[in-house]
Amino acid sequence: MSLPRGNYDPRRVCVNPFPNLSLDKHKRAIGVYVAGALFALASWQFWDAAILSRHTPDPEVHVTFVDWVPGICSVLGFIIVNLIDKDRIKGEDSFSGEGGAVWRARLFLFIGFAFMAGGLAGSIALHVLKYYLQEFPEQFLYYGYANMSQNVCFMLSAVILWLAQSSSSEYEYNLTL
Amino acid sequence: MAAGLKTVILLSFVLAVGFLLIILSCALWANWLPLLVALTFVLAPLPNALFGRFNADDFSAEYEGSGPADVGRFLTSMIVVTGFALPIVLAHSEVIRPAACVMSIIGGGLVYGTILAYTAAFRQDESDFD
Repeated sequence: MSLPRGNYDPRRVCVNPFPNLSLDKHKRAIGVYVAGALFALASWQFWDAAILSRHTPDPEVHVTFVDWVPGICSVLGFIIVNLIDKDRIKGEDSFSGEGGAVWRARLFLFIGFAFMAGGLAGSIALHVLKYYLQEFPEQFLYYGYANMSQNVCFMLSAVILWLAQSSSSEYEYNLTL
Repeated sequence: MAAGLKTVILLSFVLAVGFLLIILSCALWANWLPLLVALTFVLAPLPNALFGRFNADDFSAEYEGSGPADVGRFLTSMIVVTGFALPIVLAHSEVIRPAACVMSIIGGGLVYGTILAYTAAFRQDESDFD
């Protein structure tokens, strides 16, 4: 146990500290652009499957409301994760005296990521149960693949947006010092 | 000034070609759905232009980290990807022909590129006067 005890904070969750990337402001803008592009790409992948399902003559299986549920969970998680103030997660309590705000922020972060992971797992389960195990032809397996890549893209978009914005808060912190 | 005039004429020519491609992609097959692409690409710079004011009014010019500017960038990028994805989705479900899809994507790219280039040129001229 040769951990550096000097900057040890007993309220910290992880042994490894929160990743701080120091990107400049142009990389922040590029990160936000990439996140938005991934978000739209994810939505269009799923809508492509839904529109294709509507326009296919005599289909064996339709895209129904069940297929929409993982995407809705992922979007909810995306919104929750991005509504959290990034400075509170790190626990640098320059403004919160009792530490209750940090605890609540971490709880909501957990709920948000649980929604996103639940959406991803749900899309995989949906693909396996509804499409893969039913021995449909390759044409219908595409609906399941589109659903999975939709949720992966939502998660990537949230991660990139988080990294881009948290790097900028560090930048602002350095400026105000 | 003459170079600026040439730029404007060239850009308007490119814009006309872009709209020509989009309208041809609609009219050749009498299916007017690809016209949505033109609307999408015209709307694309709007969020950035609106939310960019939050940055411009800030007195510290080098600090570029406000939330509203990020919302504008996110929405702009979403609309641009929508403009490219819409014809592909329509062609995939065989609502429009693949040729119409390619033509409307090229036309939309020309229209959006014109808007971007015009904004960049205009900004350069403005900074020259400062």
